[in-house]
Formats: sequence, C-alpha cells, structure tokens
Amino acid sequence: MAGRRRDFWWSVTVLAFLTVVAFLVYPLATVLVTSFTGEEKRFVLADNYQRFFTHRYYYSSIINSLYLSTLATLGAVLVGTALALAVVRYPLPGKTFLRTAANLALLSPPFIGAYSWVVLFGRMGLVNRLLGTFGWELPTIYGWRGILLVFIVQYFPFVFLLVSAALRSVDQSIEDAALSLGSPPRRTFRTAILPVIAPSLTAGALLVFMATMADFGTPMIIGEGLRTLPTLMYGEFINELGGNPAMASTLGSLLILVNTTALMAQRYYAFRKAYNVVCIQPLKLQPLSPGKKAALTVFAYSVVAVALIPSTTIIVSSFMPTRGPVMYAGLSLQSYQTIFHVVPRAIANTFVLTALAVLLDILLGVLVAYLLARRRSHTHTLLDALIMLAYAIPGTVVGVGLIVVFNRPPVVLTGTWIILLISYFIRHLPYPVRSCTAMLQQIDIRVEEASVSLGVPPFRTFLKVTIPLMFPAILSGAALSWMTTIGELSSSILLYSGPWATMSVAIFTEVFSNHFGTASALASILIAAAFVPLFLTYRVLGERAALSM
Amino acid sequence: MTRVRAEGIVKRFGDTPAVDGVTLEVQPGELFTLVGPSGCGKTTLLRIIAGLLELDAGTVRFNEDRMDEVPPYLRNIGVVFQNYAIFPHLTVRENIAYGLKARRFPADRIATKVAEAAKLVQLEGLVDRMPAQLSGGQQQRVVLARALVIEPRLLLMDEPLSNLDAKLRIQIRALIRTLQRELRITTIYVTHDQEEALAISDTIAVMDRGRILQVGKPWELYLQPGNRFVADFIGTMNVLQGRVEGSGQGPGRVSVLMDFGERWQVQATGVPGQPVTIGIRPESLQLLPGGNGTEAWNSLQGTITEVVYLGPVVRYQIRVAEEVDVTSEIHNPDFSAIHAVGDRLTLWFAASRAVALPGEPEPA
Repeated sequence: MAGRRRDFWWSVTVLAFLTVVAFLVYPLATVLVTSFTGEEKRFVLADNYQRFFTHRYYYSSIINSLYLSTLATLGAVLVGTALALAVVRYPLPGKTFLRTAANLALLSPPFIGAYSWVVLFGRMGLVNRLLGTFGWELPTIYGWRGILLVFIVQYFPFVFLLVSAALRSVDQSIEDAALSLGSPPRRTFRTAILPVIAPSLTAGALLVFMATMADFGTPMIIGEGLRTLPTLMYGEFINELGGNPAMASTLGSLLILVNTTALMAQRYYAFRKAYNVVCIQPLKLQPLSPGKKAALTVFAYSVVAVALIPSTTIIVSSFMPTRGPVMYAGLSLQSYQTIFHVVPRAIANTFVLTALAVLLDILLGVLVAYLLARRRSHTHTLLDALIMLAYAIPGTVVGVGLIVVFNRPPVVLTGTWIILLISYFIRHLPYPVRSCTAMLQQIDIRVEEASVSLGVPPFRTFLKVTIPLMFPAILSGAALSWMTTIGELSSSILLYSGPWATMSVAIFTEVFSNHFGTASALASILIAAAFVPLFLTYRVLGERAALSM
Repeated sequence: MTRVRAEGIVKRFGDTPAVDGVTLEVQPGELFTLVGPSGCGKTTLLRIIAGLLELDAGTVRFNEDRMDEVPPYLRNIGVVFQNYAIFPHLTVRENIAYGLKARRFPADRIATKVAEAAKLVQLEGLVDRMPAQLSGGQQQRVVLARALVIEPRLLLMDEPLSNLDAKLRIQIRALIRTLQRELRITTIYVTHDQEEALAISDTIAVMDRGRILQVGKPWELYLQPGNRFVADFIGTMNVLQGRVEGSGQGPGRVSVLMDFGERWQVQATGVPGQPVTIGIRPESLQLLPGGNGTEAWNSLQGTITEVVYLGPVVRYQIRVAEEVDVTSEIHNPDFSAIHAVGDRLTLWFAASRAVALPGEPEPA
C-alpha cells in the first residue's frame, strides 16, 4: 500500500526534516563551530577550550554544575524512590492525595521554586524575619545548599512518577517466586524487583540530571554568584562589556556534550536491561507494624508538604501587601493591580506564544508520530533522534544558537516574537511526538486497514479513525507541552526583546528588582495557567492516561 | 460472483521471500482456505489479495479485472481480521455503517441495510452499544456484518476465530459458513488450524515456506496427501520407510519390504530396490482385520508404550522397532479393545488405506 511515491507523507517527512534542521540542528552546529572560532572569526583548534580549562573562573562552572547535578540526582532518586515504594507497597492513608500532590509539585517552573525559598528563607524572608524577632538565625539559603534543595524538591516527582508506574507493573508472582526459592525480603527486592524497575529509575535519574544541568533560573536566583554552565554561558553571551559568543558557545558545547552523553548512556543501559513484564496481579500491599506505619506516613507527608511549599508560598504571598522584597501580614490585591498596570503585555505574550507553540507542536507532532509508528525507515529513525535532541539540549544553548543563526541575513528574526515561538515550538516538540508514538504503537494497525478495505482512502482513514483514537495522547502531549512552555525562562531570557517579554522574564526581572509582590502575583498566574489544562486532561482521561508520557 | 485468480505472486521482506511464486484459482462462490503453520505466508498472500500489501511480482484478477494495481479502498472487498479491528470509538451501528458512508449511500438506505446486516449476524438490539460493551463473539459478529454489508466482491478472513473460546469458535464458524453459502460470496479464509480448515472449506490450499504444496477438497487432502508435509499437517500420519520388492497382488499394487521387516502390499509404483515412504492414518490401524475377502490386509506387531483412553477413542503408542513408533486409534472401543502398557499387539490395515508419499525418505 505504501509506495515510495512523493505522497503527502513524503512531504511531511521533508517538512519535519527542514524544520528540525533549520531550528535545531543548524543552530546547534553553529554553536559547536563558534566554539572553535577565535578573534576575527578565524578557525582555532582549541583556544577557547584551553582558556576554559585553564582559568578557574571558567572551569569552576563545569565542576559546580556536575557536582550539583550529581548530588541533586542522587537526592531526587532517593526521595522519589522511597516515596514511590511507600505509596505503592504499604497501606498508607490518603494515597491519592500523596500522588496528586507530588504531581502538583511539577507544575511550578523551577526558578519560581527557587524564588519561593528566597521569599521564605532569604535575607528579607518571612521565616527569617519571624525568627529574627527572637534573635535566631538560620544558615543561609543562598549558594549551593539552596540550589540543591530547590533541585531535589523540584525534580524528585519525576523519579516518583516513573518508579511508581514501574512498581505497579511488577507482578506479585515475581516476588512470590523469589521468596519461595528462599530469598529473604531484602535480597528479593534487590535481586528480583529492583532490576525490573531499574530502566524506569534510571530514566527518572536522567530526567533530573539533564534538567538540573540545564536549569538557568534557579542558580541565578538563589545561587548568589555561584557559576554553573548555563549561568556563566548567559553571562558570557549577554555581557555589558561586549559579549563573548565564542566562549558562550564553548560553554554551550560542553553542556551539549554532558547532556547527550548522559542521555545516550541511559538509553544504552535501558535498552539492554528493558524487560517485557506482563502484570496480571500487581504487587500486594505489605503489612506494617503501627510504629513503622506511623513513621512511614510522617515521612511521606513531610516530603509532599515540602514539595508543596513553593506553590503555596507563591500563591499566599501574592495576596500579601508588600514593599520591595518585604511582605507584611494582611490581605491585599495590590500586587495583582500592579501587574495588570505594569506588565499586561507580558501576560498576553505568554498566553498567545504558548498557545501557538503548542498548536504547532501538536500539528507536526501528530504527523511525525504517525510516520515514526507506521512508516518507520532509517530516515525516520534519524528524524526521531534529531527531535529527541531537543529534549537533551538546555534552553540557554538553543537560545544562543537561534540568536547566532538568525541575527544575520538571509533571515533576521532576533527582536521579533517569531524567534521566541521557534524556540518554544522546537524545544517542546518531543512531548506530543512521544505521547502520540506510544499511543499509535498500541493502536492495532489493522483497525486502519479495516477502514481502508471498507473504501476509505488512507488519508481520510487517518482523519476519521487514527486521529480520534489518538485523541488521549494528543491531549496529554498538548498538556505537557503547554505546562513546560508557559514557564520557560532559559531561552526566553535570551530571545525576548522590548515588547516581547514573557511572564517568566517579567517574574525574573521583578525578582531582581526586589519587587517580590508582583513577582508572586505573576508566578501565581503562571502556576494556575499550567495547572488548568493538566487538571482538565485528568478529568477527561483519568490519571493513568494523562501520565502515560 | 467473483472468480479470483492469482498468478506467480512473489513478496519478499528484505531477502526472505514470504510468498514465493504462488498461483491459485478460487471458484465463484466457494470458501477457499489457506492453511499452514505460522510464517508460511498465508496471511501475506491474503493481504496481497486485499491490496494491503504491494506485491513484488505476479498478478491478481477478480474475474477478468486486473486488481494488483488497484488501491485497497477501491477493490470492494470485505476483510475480517484476526483481532476484530473494530473501530473502538464508534458504536456498533456506526461500525457497520462505516463502509456504506464511504460509498455515500443515502441515510435511509444505510439505516435499512445496517438493520438487515445486524439481523443477519444476530446483533439486533445491540446496535447502539460501544464495542467495549460487547463480548468477543459479539465483536466478531459486528466485524462480519461490517464486511458483508458493503456487498463486497470478495470476503477475506484472517484467522477470524483465533481469539474466541472453543465453544464460540464452533458457533461463529457455523454462522460464517451459513452466511457465506446463503450470500454465495466468494471467500478466502486463512487459518493455522487444520481442523477448522477441514470443517469450513470447499477447497483447501496447504502452504509452507511461501509456497502452496497442495490444493484440493478437504477429503482429498486427508486421504491422498501429496507429500509428507501435507500428510503431517492435515491430521496425524504414521510415516514408515521401506523398499519396493516387486509387483504386488492386484492392479496398481507393489509389494514392499518395510525397514522393520514386515512385507506389505500397497498402492504405489516403483522398481525393485527403490525406497518408499508409506503413510497410514492412526484410525486405519485396527486390532482385527475386517472388510470383504477381496481386500488385502497388512499387519505389523509391536509393544504398547502409552495408552490414552478418551471414551469414544482409545489411543495407543506402539513401538514396532528401534526408533519406529506408530499411533493407533481404536474408535468405539469395547472391553476387549483395552490393553495396557507393555502388551504386545498385532495391528491390521487395509492395503487401500496406505498412502505412498513421494519424496526421499528423511535421513535417519
């Protein structure tokens, strides 16, 4: 049926390749090439890298980044796995609440989490001032401790979600078999259950590692000058004394190297260790003594409470009267009135650009997913790999790449809203592609063939049968794209100009101008805007389907 | 009614030929079954006839019309898939109406035809249900109605019963057969189940490794298998080796010295010294010779190694010689027919019941 003709799907393949190459591969390649460029644009072999690795000012950034990301990944894996085990394996009260709360923690963008900890424990923070009246002082929240705290609190839900899904797919018979063969419970967990959930666990760890490596806002807000790769890269690129694109590109190339290495290592591992598990009877809940049950309950609720602190703080503080960074007790809509005066444009920009980007992501994502699932060829495997690249590349790097490519003829896009849209679109394209490909693999191709044999040509079959069946995946892909796009900071901060600031940029500048009240109000709107589509998706599809990513 | 002619069909996946030069002719109105083990190319061949796969070489004709260049949605065929391929987002009614809507039938015609089709497959009253609310058997009926309602030139069925339990399988099988006969619709049916093939077909083609080995009526394949593979695949066959000694008693018979020492009369040709492979069905091996006086009876002796008593049948495994075992099924056994492991038995069979299987005997 599928000829090698230049049909509609051939055009989609070409279009997808052009898009990915123009907006992702070419910019990234330019970043790599620029990192090998010296003064007067001459090619230099490794001058920039030599400078990087011989000056402490530069090389400390990669040490800091690797150190923070490794510790954060370890922390998130420990907390996330422990919580998953507690919720899936033991009879704790309020499991739905625990699960929902852990999901909600993913809603606020990380830099807003960082900001919320500053609101509480910063120099002018609510808790610090309260304790100060008693003459007490807490250790500083600024610096690497704060970053680590934010990272773990922000990202452990990734591990929690993936590991609990994996645990729910383990059949009780596996544990029974190991126990009946004389393996004690601890050993059984280590030798029979852990290997089965290991691919999901490492996938969670990878997500945490890549996200923390890429995180720009958190170290900027709470790091107080601690240099990480993204912040130094930003600093080198946007420098009042004249930017240094070559050094910024060198930092960007190192980021690409670290993240793609991590990605490939995990893929290689998971590919070799992935097992097909058929779960007929899920793992049974294990009985607990009252003491242990109480301890475990306290642990689980504490974790979730800490995870909810950022959003709660933001929302509560947005309704407090403020002066600069200082917040007073009381209820006030002052902050909201201010933002609708000062930055209405940023709010509109955010919603319009996010909606456009998600729409484009869905359009191309659905078509590409169909190609990947139904017409797989080497060409499409390459396309898949290129699109997934967006997953691993930090926003700062994408931003720099887009600027370097599109600030000179033939196509000048810097200073326009289009360049923001391109970044949002290309960076979040993997979500609908993933969700829709996974869904298509579950839809029997014979359903489509039945339609064709009944007289409906292939493309109309795609519209009448395939699209309706893919609907849940389209919805969840859109919700995830929306959620991650709306608070995007790391490329927006580079790409915005003048009237095209977004809410995330506005929050960032408000925080740096010590306008905490307006920052909180904007952040609350952002959290609400991220929450509503996810909530609706839940309502339409149910929890399981919405999290099928 | 449609006559289907496929000639020289070849389909490769990579370097391996899935269908390797198949030619077949399906008579108008008959139920033609492709049967074979998994991977033999039967489903590939069906999908080529449906137009869901492009062929690498060969032609497909429905009557005089060349079909192999016609896209599947213009072929006007009904396809019933193994796992139903029901549209899960449409009601039963919408599922059945799907092909009619594609053909732009007016709404009232669609309503009438859907009602008729639903009645035909005994689904009245369920037309407003969603597929998820139906049992497997009901889903299969929906798919059958959906394929029949468009009045296709040809009905193609790919293992339509394999997802059903044993009882439903027989019910739906009977329904398919009745409808197919009543509507006189040419049908190509794919199955790996030889019993199903025997039960449902007008004509059977046995496939192996991309080729058709034998085509015939069910009883022809069973009684006169053309080769060792067909003999083994359709039913059970005891296969024994021997050499021709000379002409036998009676026309068309030769005398054969079996490798384990017995001397038999069988229907075969061959020159003295030539090796022959003899096939005997288990139910042909009897405890006592019977028939009229003119029939020649052969015998063999052995020791029972296994007994399976099933009520209407008792099945013996009998060791005739080192590495030579046969199966015998005694139907309607009485007390005298019951023996135990270790007993020695003499078994008899009519010379006309032994089949000479062509092809070199397999090396020991």
